[in-house]
Amino acid sequence: MTHKKAHPASFRDPSGFMFVEEGVFKRQINPIYFKQYLALKDSGFFDKLFQKEVLIPHEELSYSSEQIIIQPEQIPFITYPYEWCFNQYKETALLTLKLQKFSLEHGFSLKDASAFNVTFHHGKAIFIDTLSFDFYIENSPWRAYKQFVSHFLGPLLMAHYHGAQSLKLMSNYMDGIPLNMIASMMPFKSKLNPFLYSNIHLLAKFEGKYNEDYKGESKIKSLSKKAQLNIIQSLYDIIKKLSLKEHSEWGDYYNKTNYSDAAFNLKSDIINAWISKLNTKTVIDIGGNDGTFVRRITSDIEHALVCDIDNNAVDFNYKTIKKNKEHFMLPFVLDVLNPTASIGFNNVERDSFIERIVKYQPDVTLALAVIHHMSLSGNISFEMSAQFFAKFSKHLIIEFPKREDSWVQRLLNNKADFKDYFGFYNIDNFEKAYLNYFEIIEKQSIENSERVMYLLKTRHD
Amino acid sequence: MTFLYFDPAMGAMIVQAIVAAIAGVLLFSKNLLLKVKVFLGIVKPKEEDLFDDIDIEKSEIEKKDSSDS
Repeated sequence: MTHKKAHPASFRDPSGFMFVEEGVFKRQINPIYFKQYLALKDSGFFDKLFQKEVLIPHEELSYSSEQIIIQPEQIPFITYPYEWCFNQYKETALLTLKLQKFSLEHGFSLKDASAFNVTFHHGKAIFIDTLSFDFYIENSPWRAYKQFVSHFLGPLLMAHYHGAQSLKLMSNYMDGIPLNMIASMMPFKSKLNPFLYSNIHLLAKFEGKYNEDYKGESKIKSLSKKAQLNIIQSLYDIIKKLSLKEHSEWGDYYNKTNYSDAAFNLKSDIINAWISKLNTKTVIDIGGNDGTFVRRITSDIEHALVCDIDNNAVDFNYKTIKKNKEHFMLPFVLDVLNPTASIGFNNVERDSFIERIVKYQPDVTLALAVIHHMSLSGNISFEMSAQFFAKFSKHLIIEFPKREDSWVQRLLNNKADFKDYFGFYNIDNFEKAYLNYFEIIEKQSIENSERVMYLLKTRHD
Repeated sequence: MTFLYFDPAMGAMIVQAIVAAIAGVLLFSKNLLLKVKVFLGIVKPKEEDLFDDIDIEKSEIEKKDSSDS
């Protein structure tokens, strides 16, 4: 038996582990889980879920008495819960409940309900932890109920009451948000709501009470399958209806732009021409708002990452993706000034954004109307941003709004007394700094605007 | 219980009996209200949902129906 090195995030479940072999993600299943695996396989449970595109499909590579190796369909770019917009998060919660209901109806049950068991692939949420299904034990409560509340219901309720930025808390509480914290952040009136009272306040109270039972004297009450299904159904109904209170002021962003339709179209045409010239298959749009410019690309793109700092913009994009049934675009929330860090034990369980993008290596990076925000709001020097973008891909399409641009002027005016400090912000300094890392392939001004488009190529290979 | 590699939380296991009872009442009254509304003819037209039903299999049958027509 060869010893495979488990992926650093795959150590909790003794049923098996993920490992990487020649760049391909595979999963080893240990004998302890053989019975479950065979039942799931032989009963057609797996096949049904593959067919419905709710569980990542896999093929069995080898089978021995010591181990079974399966190879799941590879996902080009993994996003984490703290990078999802509100509706993405909602979808992952609903998917988990769907799977639990389906499992119960087929004699199985999800043994855990971690938000990290789900990610996005082909424009929708997909369950990626194949070994999460266990046999249902008659009349037993759902073991993963608490985990579901702290990973899904809690964060979604906090986003509902306090704004979508609450979802970022998951990067700190990767084991779920503590129940007493969720309960303490609910408004008083939530105690009058029977659903919220029982699922949040009462749960937090019971958890507090039984935490002190060190001797393990408490007995678990039995719970009929029908009763468990009632919990699942009521969670589903409430989560499906949850919305953000902060109404998206967003949406009409492109009506607020400071340039004409003609300039907007010209910008799009320039991008299109360059993208098709480079025979681009994969792209990342940093600060991609609602995905407008990626959606206007006419050549065949296989996969596109579209990120933005604004959860509402990402949400708007995600709704469009769902409505149009688009498969190639993956939106997520990203703050370029503070990209997602690597977290977890040893800081290696969940990869940072930079680690993932370097591995992903898109053909082209789009940085449209981003540089002035980075430089003027974030105080990032041209040298620093050039170095940052040079890691992403071989080619960079970057838009530079000149000092005379009204948005740049507005940002500069916000600086008041410090305005002079930003004297460096001009096109000559920009080119000088970027030429240290890139060569200019093409450069084109957008007529009737103070903006210039660049197609750059990295100097290193 | 085999394979329990995280704390299932004793309190959370026990509380589910109460949560389920409340959920049962809520679901029952919701269905009752819907029936009354249907009877009185005051059911609002269903808005286009971003997310579908909880049933993995049923949603497929619906999809098939709509694609056939």
